[in-house]
Amino acid sequence: MRLPKFEYFAPKSLKEAVSILQNEPSAKILAGGTDLLVNMKHKVECPPAIVNIKGINDLDYIKQDNAAVRIGALTTLKHIYMTSLIQEKLPVLAEAASTVGSYHHQTMGTLAGNLCQQNRCKFFNQSQWWRSARPTCFKAGGQICHVVNKKEICYSSYCGDVAPALLALNAKILVTGHKDSREILLEDLFSGDGKAPLNLNPGEILAEIIIALEEMDGVSSYIKFANRESIDFPIVGTAFWASMENKEYRVAFTAADRKPLRAHQVEAFMNGKNLSENILDEASALAAKEAKPIKTSVYSTTYKRRLMGLLLKSTVSEAMRRAKS
Amino acid sequence: MKQAIELNINGDTHEILVSPNNTLLEVLRDKLGLMGTKRGCDLGACGACTVLINGDAYLSCIMLAVDAIGKEILTIEGLDEGGDLHPLQRSFVENGGLQCGFCTPGMILTAKAILGEEKHPTEEVIKRKMAGNLCRCTGYKKIFEAVMSVTEQSGKEF
Amino acid sequence: MEKELNVVGARLPMMDAAQKVKGTALFTDDLILPGMLFGKILRSPVPHAKILNIDTSRAEKLPGVKGVVTGRDIPDRKYGIVPMAKDEYALAKDKVRYIGDDVAAVCAIDPEIAEEAVELIKVDYEELPAVFDPLEAKREGAPEIHAGIKNNTSFAIRKEFGDVRKAFAECDAIFEDTFYSQPVNHAPLEPHAALAQFDPLNGELTIWSSTQIPFFLRRNLSNTLQIPESKVRVVKPKVGGGFGQKIDLYAKDFCAAWFAIQLGKPVKFVYEREEVFISTRQRHPMYITVKTGMKKDGIILAQKFQAHADGGAYNSTAPTMIALSCYFLMIPYRVPNLIYEGYHVYTNKPVGGAMRGHGIPQARFAVERQLDMIAERLGLDAAEVRIKNSIHAGEPHPAKFIINTCGFSDSVKKAADAIGWKEKRGKLPLGRGVGLAGASFPSGVSNMSHISSGAVVQLGRDGAVNVLSGAADIGQGAETVISQIVAEELGVPIEDIRITAADTGITPLDPGTFGSGVTVRAGNAARLAVISVKQKLFNFIADKLEANVADLVAKDRNIFVKGSPEKGMTLSEALKSYQYADLPMPIVGRGSWMAPATEPTTLFKEDGNFAPSYSFMTQAAEVDVDLHTGKVKLLRMVTAHDCGRAINPMLVEGQLEGSVVGGMGQALYEDVIVEKGQVMNPSFLDYGFPTFLEMPEIEAIEVETDDPIGPFGAKEAGEGTQLSPAPAIVNAIYDAIGVNFMELPITPEKILDALEEKKNRKNSRSDQCISHC
Ligand SMILES: Cc1cc2nc3c(=O)[nH]c(=O)nc-3n(C[C@H](O)[C@H](O)[C@H](O)COP(=O)(O)OP(=O)(O)OC[C@H]3O[C@@H](n4cnc5c(N)ncnc54)[C@H](O)[C@@H]3O)c2cc1C
Ligand code: SF4
Ligand code: FES
Ligand code: FES
Repeated sequence: MRLPKFEYFAPKSLKEAVSILQNEPSAKILAGGTDLLVNMKHKVECPPAIVNIKGINDLDYIKQDNAAVRIGALTTLKHIYMTSLIQEKLPVLAEAASTVGSYHHQTMGTLAGNLCQQNRCKFFNQSQWWRSARPTCFKAGGQICHVVNKKEICYSSYCGDVAPALLALNAKILVTGHKDSREILLEDLFSGDGKAPLNLNPGEILAEIIIALEEMDGVSSYIKFANRESIDFPIVGTAFWASMENKEYRVAFTAADRKPLRAHQVEAFMNGKNLSENILDEASALAAKEAKPIKTSVYSTTYKRRLMGLLLKSTVSEAMRRAKS
Repeated sequence: MKQAIELNINGDTHEILVSPNNTLLEVLRDKLGLMGTKRGCDLGACGACTVLINGDAYLSCIMLAVDAIGKEILTIEGLDEGGDLHPLQRSFVENGGLQCGFCTPGMILTAKAILGEEKHPTEEVIKRKMAGNLCRCTGYKKIFEAVMSVTEQSGKEF
Repeated sequence: MEKELNVVGARLPMMDAAQKVKGTALFTDDLILPGMLFGKILRSPVPHAKILNIDTSRAEKLPGVKGVVTGRDIPDRKYGIVPMAKDEYALAKDKVRYIGDDVAAVCAIDPEIAEEAVELIKVDYEELPAVFDPLEAKREGAPEIHAGIKNNTSFAIRKEFGDVRKAFAECDAIFEDTFYSQPVNHAPLEPHAALAQFDPLNGELTIWSSTQIPFFLRRNLSNTLQIPESKVRVVKPKVGGGFGQKIDLYAKDFCAAWFAIQLGKPVKFVYEREEVFISTRQRHPMYITVKTGMKKDGIILAQKFQAHADGGAYNSTAPTMIALSCYFLMIPYRVPNLIYEGYHVYTNKPVGGAMRGHGIPQARFAVERQLDMIAERLGLDAAEVRIKNSIHAGEPHPAKFIINTCGFSDSVKKAADAIGWKEKRGKLPLGRGVGLAGASFPSGVSNMSHISSGAVVQLGRDGAVNVLSGAADIGQGAETVISQIVAEELGVPIEDIRITAADTGITPLDPGTFGSGVTVRAGNAARLAVISVKQKLFNFIADKLEANVADLVAKDRNIFVKGSPEKGMTLSEALKSYQYADLPMPIVGRGSWMAPATEPTTLFKEDGNFAPSYSFMTQAAEVDVDLHTGKVKLLRMVTAHDCGRAINPMLVEGQLEGSVVGGMGQALYEDVIVEKGQVMNPSFLDYGFPTFLEMPEIEAIEVETDDPIGPFGAKEAGEGTQLSPAPAIVNAIYDAIGVNFMELPITPEKILDALEEKKNRKNSRSDQCISHC
């Protein structure tokens, strides 16, 4: 399957990249390419230009200063989970990174690319010929949606593995644009709009992921549930972080909604409590309600909801086990 | 728009005319005739097109050829050592780690990348990292044994 | 059993293994010819429609496009892999019948332009009502998919053996259950490809194709494109797996050939992965109802079996498939009275074809599941029931099969022992279970046409042994096995063998790789050929040594008198003196072999011995069911296989291991999901066949028998093992959680639903015993 034609840029600095993007607002950033190029082969993304940011020197790092752990946008997933600081202090992140796709995707795929990956839908992630069997759907530029035949809303799901882990770590991101850089909560990167899932302005690049040092004092875990143990996107993925002393908890899900979901209601319910069996049962029931999975994959939404509850319990017990040891 | 680029493949420099939308796989196979790199799915989901980029396992079907400029590309054709089979290749032959052979180049290169990372990976690590390379013939058992038997050989550098 | 074998029975690497690990083994898509053009097929985006008009003008005008072809241009000849079931055109003529049907093709100077060009072809369709379920398609008033085929039922067979009514009346208990087996894609790693070249000077067409059946392809190309068979040469390069999917003919073959002839240039077609999933073949989805009558002690008296195979839009192997699923109900168990009703029904969906086991895995799933369910209800041990009902060598058979050797009951015992049946069955904690299932498979087929194999063996002065065989090695190692047989007979190491296989212009006739007949059929042909060579040489040497021909042996590149190695000479000395004696060189031997059919039979008219020999096997599985998530993990699979003598145990193990993992895929992971005729998961990402991480522990146990017909006692090993992993696993799941699944695959979601349902309505049974039990 051939890639559509495009103009190619390989800037050497962030500044240069930003200025190219400024001139070519519908250009796409290319990092590991493992998401973008597949979508381009399917012709669901046909950008006129590609800006390969991998030649930018100082975007591949994991460093710790006195406030935070900072991870450069181009850091590969493999580098993340093979770094002992992350393995030991931020296991939820290591686990999430190590469950993405297969070894190859972890080797090629970058952290920012993973976070910024396109939403998914069984009617969207298909070849051009395949999609020609139906009218073009809203997300692909048409007028209708094959999943929910209502208004012009795209319900495609966010399926990335790493975002929930970073949401559970309350991560921030540094976004570099034409004029300045802004630091925002990762949670605010995601719009919840299936058609345009990211709150990035044209020309903006996600440059750094920031995790506050105190997050390392918590316990955490990520569990992904998929058909196979490799390659597949999650049917549901769940991340959990807890500060045991403070009885403070964070829960996030992926593949359960139009964006990676920080489960605030579940957290509010759990916070301050000891996580007894009963509390967890209730939390699980809440979790299943908080997300809005839509049937954008071949898996049923009831099943996804059920999994959310189940996985929440599993992540909690895994984190507890870690807290003890 | 085509442009002339230089790629370093198996230690040799090749000057090639490519379009930005050519994948590395297309260039290796269709332009350079390096047919050992296989096209199984062309969508990044089977590992048949695995090549090593600076020693790391990459899927050449979802990598732009222009993105490989300045990097060391190793394909299966560059693996044997002056005509002698590489220990991994020998092990696949001796342990029956192949049937049709279509997945084999990708399997071997992925194994090489793994062994480049850790000299003595555990069984679990091998399985986990090889799991992006699909094989429909062997059921994986003999491929696994082939890789294990190489890691068990002492002191070899890969 | 023949003793003292050197090459046969050895764990030798495949002869082409070094090429394969070096990446120099050439598959069809790896071949390049000067001036080669690239083709691409336009496929139907609608499930059922009349083609009103095809406008190719825009595609033709695209710079770089060299040709466009539609169904109107190609001779009006239908093709089909089974002659009696031809129903397909190279490209659709007036109608398309499924999403993915071949509509038109283009040919251009590079693949990118070809891709662009197909998108410029405009087809006007008049959509017709479509039908996606075989049971609906069979109803009165359903849309007619092929003109004149009533109820969309292109093949129906009904067979009765024994007196079923009477037998049912004598049963102590009768059970009836309905099962469903899902569509499964073969998913060979190599996508289908064809490269054709035409020489206008002598009118010869050469085609390199990823095929399991070079000679059938030759015949169909000749017939469809109306060129003499003598002018068509099919060459089989390395083939990257087939599993039955490459036992058919595809638009890529016809279109490559057509363009090559029209344009006088080589033309290559390579399918995308998506096309492999949608527009080639898949294992037939099947609804099956089995009614089984037993005596209290578990002896089967009668069975009534009804199968509806969802054929998709075309026949492909339809008649063979239903015949196979019928006949193989009578083996490995003794079923003295049987009624089989089988229907092949068209739907507007992807096409069913031969896949590893060909119609039998579906039937085995139903029967082996039901046997377990019945054993449970009658309070019998499931392994015992199988042993009790096992067929035995030499027994008269209701369909007149001749069973020379049968290791079935042995295989049940061995598999049960190895899995720890006695200690585990019914005794493991909730969530853990063991199960087993049996099967039998033919080693090739006797009762059809075009089933003999030929071979030529040739010795030159150089000592190289040249073998010509028509056998199609698709990765299973046929060439290696044949070479081992030749090497063994001639007493040389395998390195001395040079084999040329599957080139219809050079090698003798062979039906191809299907029905697991290659080792037996092509192996026997090669053995006869080398024996004839040996005979010539022995006659000559016997004279020289003043010895008896019968006393000569060939071993370690020497020929000598048995028992006195000093009395003899090396093979190369022998050849040299043969030549100096002015005898004709090279020494050529020919062999051809056909299964000894006691009575010539056809699939539909008569009974008779189906195959030259039958393999038998039992699979035993241990599973772990995660009660929390519903995920099933196959921990261990034991496969006890009576495949006669293994010519190459390493290759046999490879076949068994691959089959086990494939069967596990069918049980737990794989499903071609179709919504409104459209395949929702036509990719390696979404069609989840097992990876390294799903691999179970596999233990292969040999149950050796000494078959009188196979070469050196060999029987099949390629397909049988894929018949019963799925029921073994599902039976183990029952043992683990007490739920009887009737539909494949068993996904975590189904497990969770079932566990919930079980909790809700404890004790009330969904399955019923329709008579006193
Ligand atoms: C077979 C297969 C299986 C997969 N399985 C999984 C899985 O299980 N889980 C999972 O999470 N993913 C999976 N993926 C998707 C993908 O491989 C990963 O998400 C990967 O991490 C993406 O990173 P990348 O660097 O390759 O992204 P790219 O493809 O380079 O980029 C992805 C998107 O992010 C944008 N982008 C990249 N970098 C930046 C930046 N710095 N600033 C702003 N925008 C940016 C790009 O423009 C593009 O839109 C799979 C992919 C394939 C082909
Ligand atoms: S949810 Fe609807 S609009 Fe969005 S990708 Fe799927 S079909 Fe298209
Ligand atoms: S061909 Fe590249 S991953 Fe399959
Ligand atoms: S050997 Fe055939 S796909 Fe692996």
